[in-house]
Amino acid sequence: MGLVVTDRFLLLVLRFGTFACLAGWTWVHLYWEGPYGVLLWHNGSYALAEKLGFNWDSFAGSGANDGVVQRGIGLIGWLYLVCTVMSLTVRKSSRWQCATLFAASGLLFLLAFAKYVGAQRQLPMLVEYGGQFLMPSIFALALRFGVRHRLTVAIATVGFVMTFVGHGAYALGIIWPTPSNFFAMTSVILKVDHDAAVNFLRVAGVLDLLVCLGLFMPRLRVISAAYAAIWGLMTALARPVAGMSFSLNYWGADQFLHEAICRAPHFIIPLFLFLIFRSSTSISGEGGDESSPASAEK
Amino acid sequence: MKLTKIFLFCCVALLLAAVSDAQNKKRGGRAVLSIPEVAPKDIICFALYTVHDRTLKLTAQLYPIPEGASKTVRLEVERAGKWTEVAKTTVIEPGWTAPFRVEDWDDSKAHKYRVRHGDDAAYEGVVRKNPRDKDEIVVVGYTGNSIHPVHGGDISRQDLIDNVERVDADVLFFSGDQVYDHHRHYAAWLKFGRDFGEIIKNRPTICTPDDHDAGQPNLWGESGKVSTLGGASDGGYSRPGVYVQEVERAQTSHLPDPADPHKIGQGIGVYFTSLKWGGVDFAVLEDRKFKTGPAGRVPKQGPRPDHIRNPEYDPASVDVEGAVLLGKRQLGFIDNWTQDWEDAKMKVALSATIFCGGAHIHGGANGRLHADMDSNGWPQSGRNRALEALRKGFAFHLAGDQHLATIFHHGIDEHRDAIWSFCVPSIANLYLRWWEPLEPGANREPGAPEYTGDHLDGFANKVTNFAAANPQKKPAGNVLNTRSAGFGIVRLNTETRTITMECWPRNVDITDATAKQYAGWPRTISQFDNYNPPSWGKLGKLSFNVEDPVVQLIDADSMDILYTVRVNGKAFTPGAPKGKKFILKAGKNAPDQIVLKDAKVGGKAQSIKLK
Repeated sequence: MGLVVTDRFLLLVLRFGTFACLAGWTWVHLYWEGPYGVLLWHNGSYALAEKLGFNWDSFAGSGANDGVVQRGIGLIGWLYLVCTVMSLTVRKSSRWQCATLFAASGLLFLLAFAKYVGAQRQLPMLVEYGGQFLMPSIFALALRFGVRHRLTVAIATVGFVMTFVGHGAYALGIIWPTPSNFFAMTSVILKVDHDAAVNFLRVAGVLDLLVCLGLFMPRLRVISAAYAAIWGLMTALARPVAGMSFSLNYWGADQFLHEAICRAPHFIIPLFLFLIFRSSTSISGEGGDESSPASAEK
Repeated sequence: MKLTKIFLFCCVALLLAAVSDAQNKKRGGRAVLSIPEVAPKDIICFALYTVHDRTLKLTAQLYPIPEGASKTVRLEVERAGKWTEVAKTTVIEPGWTAPFRVEDWDDSKAHKYRVRHGDDAAYEGVVRKNPRDKDEIVVVGYTGNSIHPVHGGDISRQDLIDNVERVDADVLFFSGDQVYDHHRHYAAWLKFGRDFGEIIKNRPTICTPDDHDAGQPNLWGESGKVSTLGGASDGGYSRPGVYVQEVERAQTSHLPDPADPHKIGQGIGVYFTSLKWGGVDFAVLEDRKFKTGPAGRVPKQGPRPDHIRNPEYDPASVDVEGAVLLGKRQLGFIDNWTQDWEDAKMKVALSATIFCGGAHIHGGANGRLHADMDSNGWPQSGRNRALEALRKGFAFHLAGDQHLATIFHHGIDEHRDAIWSFCVPSIANLYLRWWEPLEPGANREPGAPEYTGDHLDGFANKVTNFAAANPQKKPAGNVLNTRSAGFGIVRLNTETRTITMECWPRNVDITDATAKQYAGWPRTISQFDNYNPPSWGKLGKLSFNVEDPVVQLIDADSMDILYTVRVNGKAFTPGAPKGKKFILKAGKNAPDQIVLKDAKVGGKAQSIKLK
């Protein structure tokens, strides 16, 4: 007997994941700054700006004022805010709002690409962001076609695999070096030395890859998704847990909390898949279960 | 309409940039760094050394020793035509470094040395004689040695090697970022050795590892804390302690013994120390290791925890209590160092970066930064404490890190009341910066650019700029020579007590009469300009019975030492604040005799006999 989970609840889970991810990145853009400088500082960007009638000072800033580059980056933050609000208000019947969610995926992909370029084009950086940039699309697909639709589940699976393959590749450190903060967070939270942190991360990396395989094995997919949901939650929370301190302004919340919030898809997508796999209702091939509560959302 | 244009630009530019970036992928990525397999005879890559207080410290850097081979490395010196073993050591892993220490070293003459491993490997060089008899000590300063493709790539360093040989530099100073790879220091350090080994092996070399060497983009060491925040502005080290230990072992184990060797967090050592060479006393400072991280400690004022973009902010608001720059241990060391003039005529402080916010525009078109807390302009109280300590010895400051060559005369209570600094340009300039104040500087020299003169930096520190090698404003193909790359030379004349700063671009022959330095260089100052506040007056002229005595001025009320310095010749007219009384101490090599009490500005000339 599987767990009975309503479609409405599944949609709520996806809505929360999308909202949290977009809200976290809105915070980054509006409170801090988006990572696009690495993409915009190009001769081609300036040539394009010239064609649009901007001179050098208005493009790069006169020094006293922000230029197009800085204002443009700031503008992206407002787009994120719009998408965040849409993630709360979107209904199945609203094509524009659903389209906004797909656009949000595009924005997140651009962000992931900037991160990837900034990380000297280490592939796991781009891949690891898969869960995040697919999250709004998964939600939009769930709204349009249903939470149990084959396409929704397939894209959620892709997001799951990308997140954990990227994470695992970094944790293993075989081809791409393990990011320093992986070791640092492990050492600080678990209070272990470097050697123990290395061993811990190597094991975690192997498990990251194994759960991706497990997802495609009917007998293992539930436990794989469950493990991934818990591990995804722990890795998202690791940032604030390791970094926040009573001695910091606002306890360091403005520095670290969003790091966990925008990583919500890392545990929401596995949780969604876990609930889908555990629930008794089968995955549909077409329009989902029209009688399900999801259809009540308008 | 304008907003629409910006929006349109933003969308199209990001898409185009993304596509063009993908197309340019071959130019990007990580630098090609490998650890070559070498024949047993070539297993020693290079060697660095210093000699201080009759102690030779030499570190040989080896390629990985094959399993089963001996890990013993020997140091031999040529005496009367024969090689004599003077030390042996066991190679330390990780990092394959072989540190030697030889006491009672005769530094009055040069010695040929060779490092040996097994029967086949031999790496030869020369330990120079201490150039006490030279009037001019030539220091060549470097910073920022990136080989990343996006930073210009692995471009030949031969022009740098050739110019060092041309000026026959007495000392080399690599102020930081010798290595830019954040995960493969060992491979990159071997590459550094292959590039610079030819000049390093024959002269004392000082390296101060900076943030990128330690494997992170910025470094506020906080006495060895673990950093978990991207960008590391929460303070501490991003890479594990064992990695940092390996970096410091490779880059600094050949320096004279640390002044205060107690370790910091994660078992990381310290290396701040002094090196006396050719009558010049160099203080090697660690301006990153103890420094507090700003994230969460200071109010947010910009797009990053360490960046201040709000020009209306209150500078005092970020000078938070408890924020550390050099730290008590290091300030104590500087205090002792400024009073020690044994075997020294001039003093030079070496560190990663300069004691002010020395740039306004950072990182290409990313806009104006009012202040950058990665600079030593923050925390202001710590900056002032450092300058107060250094000026007590009339120390000149040589540094790097900024990717922008500058000359600053620093001020604490008034403009120009502290030391001068020279920030050398980067070997490969990747992250552009400009010194471009919005207001013209006050009290500029006739004809000098508006960016020179008296200013307040972004932290309201008093600074006077004399030169800035600002790069071109527009993107220029991201290639090395368009970005104000180069190196610095400092000529320390122990006879005239003058300091000449030279700032050269890459790929020039500096002995060619047509070769030009960056605008604003060369500049020559007096050693005594490093503590000559404009508001001060002069005590009466002092005439001594000995050459070059050491003089110390003490505030008669507080008993604080104002300064200690070795006089040039037999006459000296001490500078001092007006309206106060002073005690003057002097001696041949240390200020061990009280020679004047209640001295005042405007006092009479005195003749002083020292025992």
